[in-house]
Amino acid sequence: MNLIRQWIRRFPDVQKGAILQAVESASLPKIRRALRLLDDLEPEQRGPILDVELLSTYNLEPILPVLRLALSCLPSRAHLRLGPLDDIEAHIAQPAPVSSQRLSGARIIIWRIEEVLPEALYPFSHGFPERLASRVDQFLERIERVIGLHKRNADGIPLFLSTIALPVNFSNALFAAQHCAGLFCSVARVNQKIYELATQGDGVHVLDLASWAAFEGRAHADATVDFLARQPLSAKGQVGFTLFIARALRPLIVPRRKVLALDLDNTLWGGVVGEDGVNGLKLGHDFPGNVHLRIQRELLELRHRGVLLVMLSKNNEADVRQAFESLPDMILKWEDFAVRKIDWNHKHENLRAAAHELGLGLDSFVFLDDADYEREQMRQFLPEVRILNENPDPLHILRSLWETDIFDSFTVTNEDRQRHEDYAMRGARNVEAHQDDLEAFLKSLEMEVTIEHVGPSNLERVVTMLGKTNQFNMTSRRHTRAQVQTILDSPGSIALALRLRDKFGDQGIIAVLLAVRGGDAAILVIDSFLVSCRALGRGVEDALWAAMLRRVDRQSVRRLEAEYIPTAKNGIVAGLYDRLGLQRVEHDNSSTHYVLEPIVPVEFPSWIHFGQSN
Amino acid sequence: MRIDDRLLRLLIEFFDLPPDTRSGDITQQSLAAWDSLAMVQLITELEATFAVEFGIEEIQRLRSYHEIRDALCKKGILLENSPTLPA
Repeated sequence: MNLIRQWIRRFPDVQKGAILQAVESASLPKIRRALRLLDDLEPEQRGPILDVELLSTYNLEPILPVLRLALSCLPSRAHLRLGPLDDIEAHIAQPAPVSSQRLSGARIIIWRIEEVLPEALYPFSHGFPERLASRVDQFLERIERVIGLHKRNADGIPLFLSTIALPVNFSNALFAAQHCAGLFCSVARVNQKIYELATQGDGVHVLDLASWAAFEGRAHADATVDFLARQPLSAKGQVGFTLFIARALRPLIVPRRKVLALDLDNTLWGGVVGEDGVNGLKLGHDFPGNVHLRIQRELLELRHRGVLLVMLSKNNEADVRQAFESLPDMILKWEDFAVRKIDWNHKHENLRAAAHELGLGLDSFVFLDDADYEREQMRQFLPEVRILNENPDPLHILRSLWETDIFDSFTVTNEDRQRHEDYAMRGARNVEAHQDDLEAFLKSLEMEVTIEHVGPSNLERVVTMLGKTNQFNMTSRRHTRAQVQTILDSPGSIALALRLRDKFGDQGIIAVLLAVRGGDAAILVIDSFLVSCRALGRGVEDALWAAMLRRVDRQSVRRLEAEYIPTAKNGIVAGLYDRLGLQRVEHDNSSTHYVLEPIVPVEFPSWIHFGQSN
Repeated sequence: MRIDDRLLRLLIEFFDLPPDTRSGDITQQSLAAWDSLAMVQLITELEATFAVEFGIEEIQRLRSYHEIRDALCKKGILLENSPTLPA
């Protein structure tokens, strides 16, 4: 319920109330009423379009209104398509619809044991153990076949494969666990396969209905309606099921937050270091210090998976340092924080300063603090910042870390795992930047860039960057994987990614440029041009621009067109195309248009060394 | 009477009927919207609202307001154990 409240927080009160009533009651008339009220809103209030295709071995039609409501909460304007019942392969063997219908889509395949492996429910009637085990093998092959068909015909559309939930209604439950050809192990083998396929990445994700059903318990099922209409879910089960699907799809349309700014006293440890002294703090293996210990473990995990930690503490720095150095059970170290603000300033001021230092927008931030006053002040002064917890109770804080979807992502990339080090080094670079001669400073970074064509090896990172880069981004087009694929497939397009290494290490891909042929094939149009905020001010944009110009086929392309679309955050690049020597031709409120004609290659920046390109 | 009203209200809302619809007019035969899809949804709705489960025999006899009321009454739950009844 808390998740939904967060999702729908920007809806007007009437819609909010109707949605919460609908979800609580699980009543269809209330669900329809909420949907009608949502239809009254303007499209921009309702969120982006989300095309979802559902393929299932049981009947999902009765629950479509519930699913539509759940997806509306994200918020999104969900377009649902229900494939033919129980005919998965035949359906996905057809090429997926093209162009606009592919946008922001997902395909979901939901199957359950009753249809795909009914023999496992009656093992002794079906040749237990050998023949049954080979039936499971056959189904594993079927899963691979389904993925193969999807990739052949709908590559680029994320595929969500459901795991198989343990059935609710079956007999001989004790025996089911005693043999590796028994029911439970058969289900486990299937799910193992599905997890493995998702591990390979490549746009295949898991919709883990097995874990959902386990959390939800038996009450999610209704045998009567299952027999009646092959729809196995109770009213409450339908709500839980559809919200689970919504949460799984949410990362497709909502970028995750990048930074958690947090308080220390009564959060990282019990007690107030300035009052109780280090020896009076509660942190360890006994209650209640064990709750704080667990909070620290959660925070450390966040930092390792790419969420930056910012310390916001009203304390004397010496006290805090002493706590970090001498508390024996500290999990988090001083260095685990990308930025530390320990003083008596307002926390919202310190958070704003931290955002500036990190070069990140306020809407990348989440705030965690036990003090009601601090949370309220943050809410009032910086409404873009999300507040993680609602009350000071340490167990509640821990629960908010467990349950939040704010940092959800399908994958954790190498860039994510490296992020903390990157940003921590950014501080080091900023210090060195005091050198008078900027170029000498840039040379001292020993930068080496590699220009890569956008393709399977870097597509994921490119799509992530398109989705997340706010500041150095000329057009802020949030292309999906499928849209980038369309650009790659279009004749004459140029799609480049720039990888940077410097004396601090491999920075990964930090700049992207996408260009397509215009309506007139003699024109090349810059669709997207962006640089990650952790590589700003180092001239990599000049390097990528020069690399692009060298790849333009000047026999067939006479003219280059580009635009700058201003947003609240990309003022930093307002003059970029002027600096790169393009001609300003048109200017209105929504964008500035530029041309370059004739197209002449330019020099690479002298301070950047070029490595091998692919 | 109040119990009737509650079921009546549920059916009126469920099938989007005019608020003054009379209970006797609510039958599967007279409502085009009462198809097999609506039937499934109605059963989960009734089960969730009245905290009951219907047997297979009973489901085949849930074809009108009166039949549903009879089925609920036979379960005794509606009359004796309706904690969610409005005061």
